[in-house]
Amino acid sequence: MNTLLRAHRIGALQASIPIVVLLASTILSAFTLAQEAPITRQEELRQQREAKSRAVKPYKPGSLEGGTLYVQKHRLLERFAEGWKGFHPVLGGMSTGSGFAGGVRYEKGFADGALSSKTSGAISTRVYQLYDFSFGAPKLLGGKLSLDFYSRYRSSPQEDFFGVGPDSREQDRTNFAQEDSLFDFTLGWNWTRWLTTGARVGYLQTNIGRGTDKRFPSTEDLFSSTDFPELIRQPNYYHADAFLKIDYRDEPLNAHSGGLFELTYRYYDDRKLNLYSFRRLDADLQQFFPFLKKKRVIAFRARTSLADTSTGQSIPFYMMYAESGAAALRGYREFRFRDRNFIVMNLEYRWEAFSGLDMAIFGDVGKVASRRSDIDLKDLESDVGFGFRFNSIKSVFLRIDIGFSQEGVRVFFKFAPAF
Amino acid sequence: MPSQTSTHSPHASYCHVRPSTIALSTLWFASVGAACRVVPFLFAATLLFSSATSAQKFRPDDPIWEDQDRENIPAVGKFTIADYYDFLQNTFFSPGDKTRQRAVNINTLGEVPDSSWFTNRHGKKPLSLEELVRGPDLGGPLFKGNSQVIQNKQSGITPGFRVKDSTGTIYQMEFDPVTNPEMATSAEVICTKIFHAIGYYVAEVYIVTFSRNEIELAKNAQYEDLAGKTRPLTTKDIDQILAKAHVGPDGRYRTIASKFLPGKPVGTYRYYGTRPDDPNDIFPHEHRRELRGLRVFSAWLNHDDSRSINSFDSLISENGRQYIRHYLFDFGSTLGSGTVFAQKPRAGNEYLWEPGPTFKSLFSLGLWVRPWIRVEYPNYPSIGNFEADFFQPEKWKPEYPNPAFDNMTDEDAFWAAKIVMGFNDDQLRAIVKTGQLSDARAEAYLADTIIKRRDKVGRFWLNQVNPLDEFRLEGSTLVFDNAAVRLLKGIPAADSYQVQWHRFDNRKQIQEPAGGKITAKEPRLEIPSTAFEGPSDGVGHYALAEITTQSSHHPSWARPLRVYLRKNDTDVSVVGIERD
Repeated sequence: MNTLLRAHRIGALQASIPIVVLLASTILSAFTLAQEAPITRQEELRQQREAKSRAVKPYKPGSLEGGTLYVQKHRLLERFAEGWKGFHPVLGGMSTGSGFAGGVRYEKGFADGALSSKTSGAISTRVYQLYDFSFGAPKLLGGKLSLDFYSRYRSSPQEDFFGVGPDSREQDRTNFAQEDSLFDFTLGWNWTRWLTTGARVGYLQTNIGRGTDKRFPSTEDLFSSTDFPELIRQPNYYHADAFLKIDYRDEPLNAHSGGLFELTYRYYDDRKLNLYSFRRLDADLQQFFPFLKKKRVIAFRARTSLADTSTGQSIPFYMMYAESGAAALRGYREFRFRDRNFIVMNLEYRWEAFSGLDMAIFGDVGKVASRRSDIDLKDLESDVGFGFRFNSIKSVFLRIDIGFSQEGVRVFFKFAPAF
Repeated sequence: MPSQTSTHSPHASYCHVRPSTIALSTLWFASVGAACRVVPFLFAATLLFSSATSAQKFRPDDPIWEDQDRENIPAVGKFTIADYYDFLQNTFFSPGDKTRQRAVNINTLGEVPDSSWFTNRHGKKPLSLEELVRGPDLGGPLFKGNSQVIQNKQSGITPGFRVKDSTGTIYQMEFDPVTNPEMATSAEVICTKIFHAIGYYVAEVYIVTFSRNEIELAKNAQYEDLAGKTRPLTTKDIDQILAKAHVGPDGRYRTIASKFLPGKPVGTYRYYGTRPDDPNDIFPHEHRRELRGLRVFSAWLNHDDSRSINSFDSLISENGRQYIRHYLFDFGSTLGSGTVFAQKPRAGNEYLWEPGPTFKSLFSLGLWVRPWIRVEYPNYPSIGNFEADFFQPEKWKPEYPNPAFDNMTDEDAFWAAKIVMGFNDDQLRAIVKTGQLSDARAEAYLADTIIKRRDKVGRFWLNQVNPLDEFRLEGSTLVFDNAAVRLLKGIPAADSYQVQWHRFDNRKQIQEPAGGKITAKEPRLEIPSTAFEGPSDGVGHYALAEITTQSSHHPSWARPLRVYLRKNDTDVSVVGIERD
């Protein structure tokens, strides 16, 4: 073995010392690791919990969850429904075409709920306004008797008018402003849970003016005051009504079974001009035929209004009911047809898409006529359509109906059931 | 060149050396180069060695029967879940881990250890009839004189109020709907007792009757309105609450009195994830066996409200430590009860919102009819809508998707179904009797329906896997039973059993056959002597029996089942069971 080789070996040995130390320490650490590895199941779980305990933190919800949590924690929905110190929000409630309406209602009970009062104010995006006040005793004599006073001011600056009669033309669309003040006193007697009769007396004051919808002429620009003198001077009415109501619907605001029959006889007395006194009989019949556990319903409604006047008297056009719109012929514009008498019938087939949505397909027929004898089932206007009814068990809170007629397609958004 | 080797080594960062600091000797370089190649392998070996220990399949203390998750924890906040968010999240999204895997909190036998979530009761050792009927109850309200009403009840949808008894214990009282006397109160009591017997933590509930003159306002009684505002409670408020309750012909009101749970309320739990502020809570809830298996129990009893809102976390102080105990809460919407109305036929059959049926109904104009709509229910107002003929346990659904329910495996369901089948007819009739239904025909119908549904649950879920159980050693023979044959009526025994024995290396989790496949006609398998010849892990030697069961009636029984045995110096024991 030469010197060079020996030197190399010694050098290699010396150089290997750190490596050996490294290897030894590695092996030692391996055994140490093995010794420290969890031995028992309980120990392993304990270590996992200990590790988590070093990183515990309160739960931080995301923005959506945080938002819904805030709504829940502060009971915003309940407050919305319950109101604040008697104040409640109001949505909708005005005629179709008024735009989106919102407002506030204030309610207060007195004498342990024996008396109640409500007052509200609402305005729409097209500046329709409604303010009302009521005060009543809803459950006197053990719920048999109800008394109610109601007053209302309403301003509708662009109500549509197409002329009177079934032959009015779509292209004659005009608009007028209407404001009225109403004071009513009603007495009701509940014979049973489903049978009510009653009477109402009141005073109605109406003013008519130029319509504010610039897209269409104001009514007096197209229709002459000779044909419609009420455009110049409007009567003030004292009125008296008598009514009978049979209501055996399961849920009045989301009916799936039962029915409603309502008959009202009205007399409007023009004390101011003595030109516009009239009498009117209104009938409303609704019947709901459920099947498949109320998941399907055939709903039928028939309404008629028959008016007459004494000699020399007439009915202002704005006091004539219309047979079109969201609650009647849904393929036509609101107030499309007006006259002294009308009949309208609605047939709907409703089915549940899921528990929060009912679908409907519907067909409507109806007509207006100046003479009672013309109210029959001939020459009816008609439409068809379909609708979405978002609901809870108790009520329909949003209804979207799309109607098709020879005059086009109409879409109605309403915060109330069709019927 | 060695230096190049080290430079190009995947572990170059550990081995890169600077020649200027070390003698430039060729041999030295050769040694260092060799070391650079060896050290990584040593590290890998070290890790393998240590991980082999930590990853061994069975630990010395397996199977454990208690999960020690009641260790002391620091103070926790209230973990509140927004109801609407819970609905939206579970309906339109898919929270939680959806990995298809075994439940993670089970022991090696596939059973649930006792924990702050669950206590093995009737499923492990049958409770006596007295214990079943007593349920969680330790003693009902004690009224010396009139009940003191301290507050109206504002949460939930049922009318009610809170009372304090003579001992100062607070109870929440809730009433039946006027249309369905006895319905919600009986459902609450019956299901509380059953869920308690199964093993869940539940509140004590009692049926109590009283007349109007037996309750009075407590001093400083509070009324909380829907918006959370408070004012003094009045007798008129009480009358208004009672006006929504059913009053019996004797003029007495029947109510459920729920005792306030012990501890401090700290919110509810979700059916996925863990509480980030609870160190004891380490198993994702969607992978907890007792929460997955709750789907089977809920289906049986039509507990459609089995969601986070009806859970309850309570901070319990016990023996100088505090921990969170997890309760199931509110069984008013079970059986045929929808709490404030007879249960809707949809409940249990369809989620509140489910795209398939919705769009089918929508686009067919309603001509497609949901099958459950045609189900007829007998007219028992005190029962509501509850039936067993249409009921299909595997298709049952809660109000909206539940992540733990969605993750339920056949093995989870088998575990639950065995517990369900542990309730015999007499026991169920005795529990139903605690509902104190005044109509004997209604009571009989309810018991019969629960029994029929129980049998359907068992018949379906016990037959989805290889149902062998009750494994035990008799000398050198592995003996077992068949849960389906034992617990169900009219199920013929298996045709044969096929077993493949393996030696099992616990540290490496490696198995190798010990002999060939054996077919046995009887549920007894002789353990071959070579089965325990694998390496010891320091605790014992392991054998594995992979068993399939042949049955012409039940093809699912052929799904493999693995039984692990451990042999130490003193005995042989069953240490693991796995079902595919």
